[in-house]
Amino acid sequence: MKPKRVGLLLWKEFRQFRRDKLLLPLVFMLPIMQLIMFGYVVGSDVRNVPTAVVDLDHSTVSRSLADAISGAGYFEIVERPSDERALQPLMDGGEIQAAIVIPEGTATRLSQGQRAEIGIVVDGSDSRIASAASGYSAQIIGEYDRKRLEAEGLDIQAPGIDSSVRVLYNPSLRAVNTMIPGLMATVLLISTSSIMAQAVVRERESGTLEQMFTTPITRGEYVLGKVTPYVIIAALQLGVVASVGTLWFRVPFNGSVWTVTLGLGLFVFTSLGIGLLTSLVSRTRQQAQQTVMFILIPSFVLSGFMFPIEAMPAPIVPLTYFIPLRYAIEVLRASWLKGSGVAELWVPLTAMTIISAIVFSIALATFSKRLAD
Amino acid sequence: MALWADRMRAIAGGSRPADEPRAISDFAIETHALTKRFGDFTAVDGIDFAVARGEIFGFLGPNGSGKTTTIRMLTGTIMPTDGTADVLGYDVRRDPEAIRRRIGYMSQKFALFEDLTVDENLRFYAGVYDVEPERFAERRRYVLEMADLVGREHELTANLSVGWKQRLALGAATIHEPELLFLDEPTSGVDPVARRHFWDLLYDLAEQGVTLFVTTHYMDEATHCHRLAFIYAGRLIAEGTPFEIRTQVMTQQIFEVRPDGADVDALLEALERDPDIVEAYLSGATLHAVAAEDDARALERRMADAGFATARAVGIEPTIEDVFVHLVTREKEAAGD
Repeated sequence: MKPKRVGLLLWKEFRQFRRDKLLLPLVFMLPIMQLIMFGYVVGSDVRNVPTAVVDLDHSTVSRSLADAISGAGYFEIVERPSDERALQPLMDGGEIQAAIVIPEGTATRLSQGQRAEIGIVVDGSDSRIASAASGYSAQIIGEYDRKRLEAEGLDIQAPGIDSSVRVLYNPSLRAVNTMIPGLMATVLLISTSSIMAQAVVRERESGTLEQMFTTPITRGEYVLGKVTPYVIIAALQLGVVASVGTLWFRVPFNGSVWTVTLGLGLFVFTSLGIGLLTSLVSRTRQQAQQTVMFILIPSFVLSGFMFPIEAMPAPIVPLTYFIPLRYAIEVLRASWLKGSGVAELWVPLTAMTIISAIVFSIALATFSKRLAD
Repeated sequence: MALWADRMRAIAGGSRPADEPRAISDFAIETHALTKRFGDFTAVDGIDFAVARGEIFGFLGPNGSGKTTTIRMLTGTIMPTDGTADVLGYDVRRDPEAIRRRIGYMSQKFALFEDLTVDENLRFYAGVYDVEPERFAERRRYVLEMADLVGREHELTANLSVGWKQRLALGAATIHEPELLFLDEPTSGVDPVARRHFWDLLYDLAEQGVTLFVTTHYMDEATHCHRLAFIYAGRLIAEGTPFEIRTQVMTQQIFEVRPDGADVDALLEALERDPDIVEAYLSGATLHAVAAEDDARALERRMADAGFATARAVGIEPTIEDVFVHLVTREKEAAGD
């Protein structure tokens, strides 16, 4: 390993980057656009959810509560059935996606200083709407209760209205904020692995790879000279994506910068390894691209990004252990939102370290077998 | 250039740095039972040959016969499965790094970085081979003049036409003044004038003492080589100087047959059926026929009997192409039995 030759390879690589008119848009604009576009899909504000109110109390309290719910703009009351049993067919038919059930005796219980429970039912088949609806309704009810207690001159700690959420069809529900960190990791996976996957195979196609292996350049020098520029690019991408997440989507950052950086850094390194391996074993650029797609799709499905792992059939779950994105999302969600540190997250962090070590070892071993055929 | 020639002479004369032990050999390349298998497929099947220093050695064979695999083994890019090969006195298994420092390689793909400029390509390869800065300045000037690229140093390589790319590739492959240069079909896709020009450059290199190992399937180029070897299905089937190959491999008489009005296809078919004709094939507008007898008149009579009265036969010296076709046909027939 001669530093001078690695330096030469880096010089060459950056010269080529500078002339690559597609690289800059691909490396920076694409992840930003993907993040913003998908971010709105997974995290857009939900308004005017068709809602049914079942008022079994017929009191002033129940009426003003229903008004508060419809007045916020998130819910549009389209049905007022008199019986809770009417909700199921309405939800089955898609006429409503949320329902508020105010039980009989709510006003009486409240006036006696007792706790009263309001039922919220949401259609979980669209987790985005379901999570928004349950969140907003709980918030509206809480707000209503606070104002009521204030108006009556009572302590806000006093027993009041509680809301209990029941999700139909898809009981494990996630808040919108958990989607953005997962999306960041996904976007990073797409861009780093697909760019890296093209890197070596492009030189194989043009014949420069073969040429370089007739020179004193060693395989180790070549790989180092090839991966380093992409590590730098990936680090910049990581910064860009994290900035878009916090500044644009205002995902609250409660964690430690170091834990998040460590987690994302490890993950990006793993993605680069996967891209490198793909690039080394592919004969053509098209083949490399198809291989990346072949890896990306199971990653989306099995990582817990789109579908919660808890809801997966038991025989499928072990497969998720082989998906690096799964660990990245786990680390990000926990460290970003809950502030978990390395101590709590050592399992996924170690898993990513092991996976990237394996991937890079296989890549180097494959490469050391020389051009072979 | 004088410096390079001196160095070559010094190497040929046996003076070399003391810290680099290597076998004393007059041969730039020497192989014994060199074999490469990919799974069940034997790409190179136990070939033996030697290339003397300063020689232009032509390595001929149809596509897929093992030419490129042989070059890859000799350049230390892939390991032989069996047998040995010494290149510039170094064993390809034990010392591929030492070999790679001393050789140059140029392929049909002209593997230059298309998105680097002429100058950047030269700088890259000079750096890879650790060419001293002063030496590089000199070499760069020489290459630019040789490749007729003076004034176009900062042009992107992608914008050069094929002939220029080819010469630049040669310049990049020789920027470090290698003792041995491998050329894998260096002239494919290049027009005849550029090919001629390119061979002049190769002669210059040979005169300076560089050993050249050239594969080609242009038969006219084979005659430019000092010595030739034919490879077919992974095995060497003939070796020698172009003269030896033309005169010794072909012991039978070869005729040029001009149809002169007769139907060429029908005549070819008739010749192929003739038991006294060993081989018959198209060669340009005429036919070539290899016969056991050496009487042109007798051949013309037999053609007339077959209904081709106008056809004329003239005994000729076999060309390299004739030998090549002859050898390949013989091998194919042997394999078919």
